[in-house]
Amino acid sequence: MGATTAGILFVGSLILVLVAVHVPLGDHMHRTFTSRHHWTAERLIYRIVGVDPDAEQVWSGYARSVLAFSVVSVLALYGLQRLQGRLLLSLGYGGVDPDVAWNTAISFVTNTNWQAYSGESTMGHLVQMSGLAVQNFVSAAVGIAVAMAFVRGLARRRTGELGNFWVDLTRAVLRVLLPIAAIGAVALVAGGAIQNLADPHTVTTLTGAEQTITGGPVASQEAIKELGTNGGGFYNANSAHPFENPTSWTNWIEILLILLIPFSLPRTFGRMVGDRRQGVAIVAVMATLALLSVTLLNTAQLAHHGTVPESVTAATEGTESRFGVSNSATFAAATTLTSTGAVNSFHDSYTSLGGAVTLLNMMVGEVAPGGVGSGLYGMLILAIVTVFVAGLMVGRTPAYLGKRIGPREIKLASLYFLVTPMIVLVGTGIAMAFEGPRGSMLNTGPHGLSEVLYAFTSAANNNGSAFAGLTVATTFYDVALGLAMAFGRFLPIVLALALAGSLARQTPVPASAGTLPTHRPQFVGMVAGVTLILVALTFFPALALGPLAEGIH
Amino acid sequence: MLTSTLPASAPAALRKLDPRFMWRNPVMFVVEIGAAWTTVMAVLDPSAFAVLITTWLWLTVIFANLAEAVAEGRGKAQADTLRRTRKATTARRLTDAGEETVAAAELRRGDLVVVEAGQVIPGDGDVIEGIASVDESAITGESAPVIRESGGDRSAVTGGTRVLSDRIVVRITQRPGESFMDRMIALVEGASRRKTPNEIALTILLAALTIIFLVAIASMQPLAIYSVANSPGVEGGFALGSHGVTGLVLVSLVVCLIPTTIGALLSAIGIAGMDRLVQRNVLAMSGRAVEAAGDVDTLLLDKTGTITLGDRRASEFIPVGGTTGAELADAAQLSSLADETPEGRSIVVHAKEAYGLRERHAGALTHAAWVPFTAQTRMSGVDVDGRRLRKGASGAVTDWVRGQGGEVPSALADVVDRVSASGGTPLVVAAAENGDVRVLGVVHLKDAVKAGMRERFDRMRAMGIRTVMVTGDNRLTAKAIADEAGVDDFLAEARPEDKLSLVRAEQAGGRLVAMTGDGANDAPALAQADVGVAMNTGTSAAKEAGNMVDLDSDPTKLIEIVEIGKQLLITRGALTTFSIANDVAKYFAIIPALFVALFPGLDALNVMRLSSPQSAILSAVVFNALIIVALIPLALRGVRYRPSSASRLLNRNLLVYGVGGVVAPFAGIKIIDLVVQLVPGMQ
Amino acid sequence: MKPLLAALRAVLVLTAVCGVLYPLAVTAVAQVPGLKDHANGSPVSVNGRGVGSELIGQSFSDADGRPLRRYFQSRPSAAGDGYDPTATSASNLGPEDIVDRDGEPSLLSTVCARSRAVGELEGVDGSRPYCTGSGVGAVLSVRPDRVTSVNEPCPAAPFVAEYRGVKVECATPGQDPRAGRIVPVRGAAPADPAVPADAVTASGSGLDPHISVAYAELQARRVAAARGVPVGAVRALIDEETTGRALGFMGEPVVNVLRLNIALDRAAPRRG
Repeated sequence: MGATTAGILFVGSLILVLVAVHVPLGDHMHRTFTSRHHWTAERLIYRIVGVDPDAEQVWSGYARSVLAFSVVSVLALYGLQRLQGRLLLSLGYGGVDPDVAWNTAISFVTNTNWQAYSGESTMGHLVQMSGLAVQNFVSAAVGIAVAMAFVRGLARRRTGELGNFWVDLTRAVLRVLLPIAAIGAVALVAGGAIQNLADPHTVTTLTGAEQTITGGPVASQEAIKELGTNGGGFYNANSAHPFENPTSWTNWIEILLILLIPFSLPRTFGRMVGDRRQGVAIVAVMATLALLSVTLLNTAQLAHHGTVPESVTAATEGTESRFGVSNSATFAAATTLTSTGAVNSFHDSYTSLGGAVTLLNMMVGEVAPGGVGSGLYGMLILAIVTVFVAGLMVGRTPAYLGKRIGPREIKLASLYFLVTPMIVLVGTGIAMAFEGPRGSMLNTGPHGLSEVLYAFTSAANNNGSAFAGLTVATTFYDVALGLAMAFGRFLPIVLALALAGSLARQTPVPASAGTLPTHRPQFVGMVAGVTLILVALTFFPALALGPLAEGIH
Repeated sequence: MLTSTLPASAPAALRKLDPRFMWRNPVMFVVEIGAAWTTVMAVLDPSAFAVLITTWLWLTVIFANLAEAVAEGRGKAQADTLRRTRKATTARRLTDAGEETVAAAELRRGDLVVVEAGQVIPGDGDVIEGIASVDESAITGESAPVIRESGGDRSAVTGGTRVLSDRIVVRITQRPGESFMDRMIALVEGASRRKTPNEIALTILLAALTIIFLVAIASMQPLAIYSVANSPGVEGGFALGSHGVTGLVLVSLVVCLIPTTIGALLSAIGIAGMDRLVQRNVLAMSGRAVEAAGDVDTLLLDKTGTITLGDRRASEFIPVGGTTGAELADAAQLSSLADETPEGRSIVVHAKEAYGLRERHAGALTHAAWVPFTAQTRMSGVDVDGRRLRKGASGAVTDWVRGQGGEVPSALADVVDRVSASGGTPLVVAAAENGDVRVLGVVHLKDAVKAGMRERFDRMRAMGIRTVMVTGDNRLTAKAIADEAGVDDFLAEARPEDKLSLVRAEQAGGRLVAMTGDGANDAPALAQADVGVAMNTGTSAAKEAGNMVDLDSDPTKLIEIVEIGKQLLITRGALTTFSIANDVAKYFAIIPALFVALFPGLDALNVMRLSSPQSAILSAVVFNALIIVALIPLALRGVRYRPSSASRLLNRNLLVYGVGGVVAPFAGIKIIDLVVQLVPGMQ
Repeated sequence: MKPLLAALRAVLVLTAVCGVLYPLAVTAVAQVPGLKDHANGSPVSVNGRGVGSELIGQSFSDADGRPLRRYFQSRPSAAGDGYDPTATSASNLGPEDIVDRDGEPSLLSTVCARSRAVGELEGVDGSRPYCTGSGVGAVLSVRPDRVTSVNEPCPAAPFVAEYRGVKVECATPGQDPRAGRIVPVRGAAPADPAVPADAVTASGSGLDPHISVAYAELQARRVAAARGVPVGAVRALIDEETTGRALGFMGEPVVNVLRLNIALDRAAPRRG
């Protein structure tokens, strides 16, 4: 079998399994977030937290809870890193530098998992499993919670209430993330991922040299890292590391874990708004864009244009032999299409056009299918913008799922899709305007520009992957990217919740033959089109000077 | 038409360059600032390129203002005509002491004035005494006089119209300076124009896009500087220096990318929408009402006058007993000759059409004795040549037959019931001759549905609009008419207050409701409805309550109003789509032009093969300006609207304005480039 | 204040659940027989002595970094000084990193040098497209009047004498190589070089334990010669240590270098 055929089968098998699994998982999440029943363990948690699980919140209360939880999370994670030296299982590492600790705390709380540090030489086991991995769970749960609140805004009528954040958070962790992560972790161990609390130990190799073999609770962290679309690796090499991703089939499982929840949430959405076809339409937009991206990225990598790849005769620089070029490209597409940012190969060394696709994936705003939760609300807001323009063309005041898109709604939606590109462009512009930040580039010319553009795109979109040549362990990047991650995460969340609050208050307009149908292929194509055009128009100049300047000869 | 109004609107367009005016349109305001900046640059460092770019940037702003000025100009012309008719009139105000003459402007609400033949009515009001024929051509353009009388639903008179006959007393209902005519002038001039919610929403979206492009271009500058610095051995070309992209080119790029096309035409589209209504003799009190018309989910239509012609007509002769159809027709015709009611006329007409009976004239039958219809007898007829014919309500005629000693066949009751059940009105015809009294048969009178109604309602249904017929008739009659007309639903035995509750019920379900009304008791429902169209012939109360007034008083016009509302929104959506789609080609024109010197590979993106970077940029700017002018007619006329389902409508518009919007500028810019490259300094 | 307090309690309780209970539970499950070996890093031992992990690649070179002829060689590694698990990394150099800077070889020159070295080691043609015979990137800086071979500092003789009629000069140290249009020159190397791709490129982790079957096949003759055994025997071992695609379509067929070398030591101990 040729490499291309095998690569296609690899993608095809992932699609088949996702098609099969998204229905039960989506339904399970629907039950999870609409059930009135509390588990005993959950009641215990609510009692400890001190909240009434049956009291609902209006959008501003929900947003305050999200922000409070995130602020405390940042402080806790910052503190834990700073105090590392005095705690258990530190492996002898001292407290993390303030710059890096701040950046890392923001990074994990915002579900970005940008890594300004090298895991194996900075973080002990305690910080990894009780700090970083905890945020892997809860930052993902926050995303799911906000998505559920947003969907309630569309589904409910004449109410200000969007649900209870603490209930959504707890249920997302206990009923969705923990069970799947546990199963995933055991599967990864079966493939060879390590799971222990051992210190690093040194062996003498076959040739008499010394090699340090590391230990750690890797599999448990790896599973939630992919499932929660987090991406922060236990090791610097992330999922390229054989202890994180030991075989070609664990690679398949990791990609599946990445895509699992984001592709299932539209089903949950469809059930919650009482029209499964709406969920199918949303998942179809995501799948269309994702498939396009996977195809482009695989094509670019297998065609290996560019001086070095042509000299090498394959785009193997930065890829692992066991995965091969095609499966690496598929992983790269999955990780940048979602807000994961885990990598099993190094995007900085990708062909120019392949690298451009990973950049574009993030620029699309992490909606195809996007991060857990954030992908869904991002896509729904894009659908709202599409409905606004297209809805006018059928001669009615635009409405999505019966909710009218008036000045307030379009203001919030516009701000939502304005925020992230602004952070990317302004951040990149500032970094490129100054000598210091420019000095961090590993590569020169257009590729160096791409490294900086990639860094801000990744941070603002809460992806976390990198053109890793850029030296980001500097005060400028720690601070600037930290701000980009924080604003890129929480401004959209607040805007999305405000929009949900505004939608929830409305009485829906009943559908008629004159209403724009939002479940047909026509609408799917339109949302995909609007998304691509908006992104292309926003980033074309930057892309032209980066990957396009480099890649077109 | 456009060619004549364009030059006339030019001064107004120039006046609108005032920044205090421009800032209300954020997109075009950005263009104006850009144009001002390039002017400074062109003065400091003149070149053919700089002068041409600057000129075309100013033209872009002027074209946008021109679009608005042209749209406003059409209204202004109409307002001027109105103003001319509004002469300073005097009023004869009734006082306790008698009558005094005051200037019309001094009239207050509640004043009573007398108007006699030949005088101009001094203000809006209701006739409280008398009846008169009034010439309302000043506001309706219709020269046929109309009747205005006290007490009914035709009591409203409008200031500025002229009484042609008789004398009326009018109670003034307007405040000074707020007459219908005043409001009308303000409306058509656009003076009282406020942005509608949808316009505001769209403006926000356009502002957001403008900000994105501004930031995208501004942030490109440090990237460009870096790129130049990284290629020390390469000449940046005309657009690039060590300080990045030149200001001139930067401004051109921004102007080409921000949604200028829709930004320039947005306000013209709104004004033109109102204007299209005015041309159909409908006055909308706000743009919001026009927009709401496009959103209407439910249309409440009065049966009489809207769906049916308003009077019943003979549709069938049903003989009973041994009578033949021809016999019955002859008797019916004969008995109706003197009957001048529409029903009576229709019997004569039907007899002629169905049985070929030649029309006879009542006057020809000299020895006939006509029996007129009275409320007591409830029948009419004729006694001629010893033959007595009677026609009338079933009960009345059967009583007469029995009274004359005749027999009523049992079949009659069935026929009468059948006709009633079908929503018709049965008229029984009987004859008495030589002591032989018998029932001849039944004339089926039907409420006639206007021609073409079914098709119109089918179209409405395709548009997703539910039609509800409102009538005072009983259920049976109402259902029959509803079925025949093809409305979706009906409200029978409706009292005026039922209309209001129906409007509320529909709105509670999230639907937008449109209705027409004329009577004073329609006012609450008109006020409650999202689109309430008052008939100009109606009462002042109705006109106050509604948000539109139909000067022709044609209730079926509601359907056109809905279409105009939809057309307005579609035009906005279509031009927005077109505007954004245009950017694709502009990027392909400008970005390679900017950086091709630095990165020769980018020439691959120059898919239009434009002759030089200068020419590419200028061509994009010129296209951007000309497309505004090219689309002014479309903005004024509105996108063609054909009622059909939303899906089909969208497919068509996406194809024309989305795909077309991507393709058109590629061709347009290429063609302009072929011309522009000949200009000196473009190589 | 109330949400902040609730948040603090929530962070603590969720840390206990997700940060303590969960990883410890998974660790406990992972210690059952069958998973235990994997959970502890798939250690490999020779004669009872741990020599590393089956999953972590190693260098098979002498103290000076020269490849040991009797061992199969792993891929180039960017992890520390090579295969250092405490400094995992990729090169992160881009596809157009073709101009050497301040003595730092570009990715292209690195690839060219590796190809040349492997070619020499294995006795095959080490030439590649865009590489000079001397094993650096064949790249010119072109100005109308002057053409320099940027990766060949003086006094080296440039790989071509003339470019479009202009004499090609060697690069003057200290001069900005970007002072002209950068043009890579493909040269006459075969489209399908003898040295496989994975032999000249670094992996993502720097710990890649595998090489391609082609690279293993290329090394078989040299290893057999060094050990004095028939090539067929070595090839048989390669076949044994080759892992095909999982389920026939996942990943690529690869050879585990550490296991292959251990198997070699066992089957054909070094004489002398």
